[in-house]
Amino acid sequence: MTVLVGYLAGKSSRAPLQLAVAAARTLKTSLTVATIVPKPWAFPSPAKVDGEFAAWADQVAADSGREAQRELEALGVPVEVQYLSHAHRSVSGGMIEVANEVGAELLVLGSSSNGQLGQVVLGSSADRLLHSSPIPVLIAPRGYRNPRGGILTRITCGYPGTPEAVDLVRRVEAIAQRLEIPMRVAVFAVLGRTMYPPEVSLHAEEAVLTEWEKQAAETLAQLRTDGVVGEDVLLQVVSGHDWGEALDDAEWEDGEILALGTSPRVGIAQVFLGTRGSKIMRVSPVPVLVLPG
Amino acid sequence: MTVPEPISLTEQMLRRRPVIGAPVAHGAGQDLKRTIGVLQLTMFGVGATVGTGIFFVLSQAVPKAGPSVIISFLIAGLAAGLAAICYAELASAVPVSGSTYSYAYTTLGEVMAMVVAACLLLEYGVSTAAVAVGWSQYVNKLLDNFMGFSLPAALSGAPWDADPGIINLPAMVLVGLCALLLIRGASESAKVNTVMVFIKLSVLLMFAVIAFTAFKSDRFAEFAPFGVGGIGAAAGTIFFSYIGLDAVSTAGDEVKDPQRTMPRAIIAALLTVTSVYLLVAFAAIGAQDWPEFDDQKAGLATILDKVTGAQYWGTVLAAGAVISIFSVTLVTLYGQTRILFAMGRDGLLPKMFAKVDPRSMTPVNNTIVVAIIVALMAGFVPLDYLADLVSIGTLTAFIVVAVGVILLRRREPDLPRGFRVPGYPVTPVLAILACAYILFSLRWYTWLAFALWVSVALTFYFLWGRHNSALNRPIASEAPVPGVDIIDPPRDLS
Repeated sequence: MTVLVGYLAGKSSRAPLQLAVAAARTLKTSLTVATIVPKPWAFPSPAKVDGEFAAWADQVAADSGREAQRELEALGVPVEVQYLSHAHRSVSGGMIEVANEVGAELLVLGSSSNGQLGQVVLGSSADRLLHSSPIPVLIAPRGYRNPRGGILTRITCGYPGTPEAVDLVRRVEAIAQRLEIPMRVAVFAVLGRTMYPPEVSLHAEEAVLTEWEKQAAETLAQLRTDGVVGEDVLLQVVSGHDWGEALDDAEWEDGEILALGTSPRVGIAQVFLGTRGSKIMRVSPVPVLVLPG
Repeated sequence: MTVPEPISLTEQMLRRRPVIGAPVAHGAGQDLKRTIGVLQLTMFGVGATVGTGIFFVLSQAVPKAGPSVIISFLIAGLAAGLAAICYAELASAVPVSGSTYSYAYTTLGEVMAMVVAACLLLEYGVSTAAVAVGWSQYVNKLLDNFMGFSLPAALSGAPWDADPGIINLPAMVLVGLCALLLIRGASESAKVNTVMVFIKLSVLLMFAVIAFTAFKSDRFAEFAPFGVGGIGAAAGTIFFSYIGLDAVSTAGDEVKDPQRTMPRAIIAALLTVTSVYLLVAFAAIGAQDWPEFDDQKAGLATILDKVTGAQYWGTVLAAGAVISIFSVTLVTLYGQTRILFAMGRDGLLPKMFAKVDPRSMTPVNNTIVVAIIVALMAGFVPLDYLADLVSIGTLTAFIVVAVGVILLRRREPDLPRGFRVPGYPVTPVLAILACAYILFSLRWYTWLAFALWVSVALTFYFLWGRHNSALNRPIASEAPVPGVDIIDPPRDLS
C-alpha cells in the first residue's frame, strides 16, 4: 500500500507532491513518485536516434527524480519515499501500470497549468486517468500547499441526493475511517436561472430551491436513520446562486478534501464524473477525491 | 407546536396562507436590490404579451366582428390595462412573490385560491396549447415557402377543426421540446427577452408597412356587420392576445420607485402593444376583405403573400413568428409548472407536483405531467375553442384580482403597499366592468366548459385539497430537519 504521485521535471508543479505527502502521512503509508517517460522504438535506427532518444528519456527520469527529491526534502516530512520511472506511450496508461505494480491505494495528480490558482482544472492526462483509474484519484488545486498540520483533516462527501448515491456515502465513510479523519456529507444546490419575462414573479426559482433544500435535508437525515452514517458525521445542505458560491458558502478546513462520486450511468470500474460533478470540481477550493464507479 | 383545532368548512375555505418562509416581496426586503427601471419593465410587459395571440387571433376575431374588430382591440386593451394596474397593487401589498394564485391564497382564502388556480390553468396551460397550435400553422407556412411542401392536414390539424385532421403534430412537438428545455433547467434571459421583443415588433411593423401598400378604404365600408354584439364577441377572442401584460406587476419587488415606475411601465407596455395590434389589424383589414379572414392559417404571412404576389416577405414573417412563438411557449409552460409547484407545496395538489428531481434540480414530474396534458390539448383541440377558454379563465382571474384590491383596501387599509392604484375606487371597478362586459359576450359553450372546469377544480378541493392542505398541519412541519444544517445565504438578484 502506497500513495502514488506523478512528477515530471520542468512540467509538474509542487502542488501534487505537497498533497501526496499529506495524504501519505494521513494514511501512515509510503509515497511513490513516478515519472512516465516515452517508450523508445523497438527497432534500432542506423542514425542512432533511438539511442539518443533513450538517453534523453533516462535524463528526464533522473532529473525528475532529483527535482522531486529536492522538493520533498525541503518539506522535511518524515515519509518513506521511492522514486521510479516507467516507459509508456501515454502518461495515463503508464500511471495505471505503475499503480498496479506498486499496489497503490491512492493516485495524486496536479491541476493543469491553464487553470487559475486555487482551481481544480483537469489537464489531458488527468482527464484520461479519471476515465480509466481503478483506484481513487486525488487532484490538487493549482498552487496547493501542504496543510499546516501536515495531514488531511476532514473529508466531505459531495452527495447528489439520488438513491443510487448512498453507496458513494458508504465508500467515503470507509475512506474516512481508513484516513482516521471526521466526515461531512454535503448536498450542494444552486438557484435556477430566472425566466424572463417574469410571468410568475422573478423569484419562482427560489421556491424550487427552498423545496429542494428541504427534500435534500430529509434525504440526509434518512442516511443517519438508516445507519449509513454515524451520529458524528456532519450533514449539510449548502446552496448559492451558482456552484462557486455554493462551494464557497460551505466552510472548509485547512487540510480538507472533497470526495465526488461518478455518474452511475457510465462504465464499471471506471471513473466518470457527471456534468454536475465536473462543475463542482472546477470550483472546489480544496483537493478533489474522485472515486471510481 | 400544537395541532390546530378542527375547524368548520367555512373557516377552512376562507383560511389564508400565512406569510412564512416565502421570499419577501414589496419594500420590506433590505437585501433585494431594486434595479428594474421603466424601460426594462416595459420590455417584460411587451415581451410577455406580443406573440401570445396577434399572429393568429385575426382569423378568429375578424369573422365575428368584421372591420369593427379594431374597436374590440381597444376594449380588450382597456380591460387588460386596468386589470394590470390592479395586479400591481395586489402584488405589492402581498408580501409573497408568485402568481395570482399566491396573492389570492394570502388575501382571499383557500377556496378562492383554488378558483383562481383553475383560471390560471386556462391562462397558462391552455394558452400554451393555443399558442403551440398557432406555431404549427407558421411552421407549416415556413416549410411550404422554403421547401415547397407542407405537412398534410391530417398531421397538422385537430380532429374537430374546420379543416379536420387527425392530430396536430408540430404543436405537440413544440410542447415536448419546451418541456425538455425546462427539465434541463434552461431559461430565457432578460437579454433574449429584449431580442425577442425586437423580433416580434419588427416583423409586425414590417407586416403593417407592406400590407398598407394594398390598402383599400372600401374594405371598411361595412364597418360593423354584426353590430355591438359582434364587437363584444370579438373582444372576448382578442383578449387572448393581451395576456401577459400582468407580467409587469409580478416584478414589482425589484422595481425602482414602484409608485412612479409601475403605472408608467404598464401604460407604456399597453400603448406599445395596443398601437402595434391596431396597426396590424388596420393594415390587415385594409389589405383583405373581412370574410376572407375566416379560418385562415398562418394569417399574417398568407396576407403578405397575397399582397406582394411573392413569398419572400411572408417567409420572413413566418420565420419571425416561429422564433418568437417558441419563446412564448417556453415562458408560459414554465409559468404553468411553477404555479402547480406552489400548489403542490401548499398541499392543494399532490406532493408530487412539488417534488424536485435531484439530478436536474427542476420539478421534473410536474413538468412532464403539464407537458403531456398541454400537448394533448394542442394536438387534438381546435384553436378557437382553446383561445376562448383562455380568455374566459384570464378574465375571471383579472376580476378576482380587482375584487381583491377592493377587499384588501377595506380589510387592511393601513397595510404598506409598494404601489397603490391611482383613482381608487374607480379603477378597480372599471376593471371589473370592462372584464365582465367581455366575459358576457363569450359564447355559451365556452361558459359551459368553464363552469364544468371550475366545478371539477372545486370538487377536487372539497374531496382532496382541503384535507391535505399544508395549513392543516402545524407550522412546525416547516421547521428544518433535525440534525441537518441548511446553509442558505440571503439571496439578492444581481
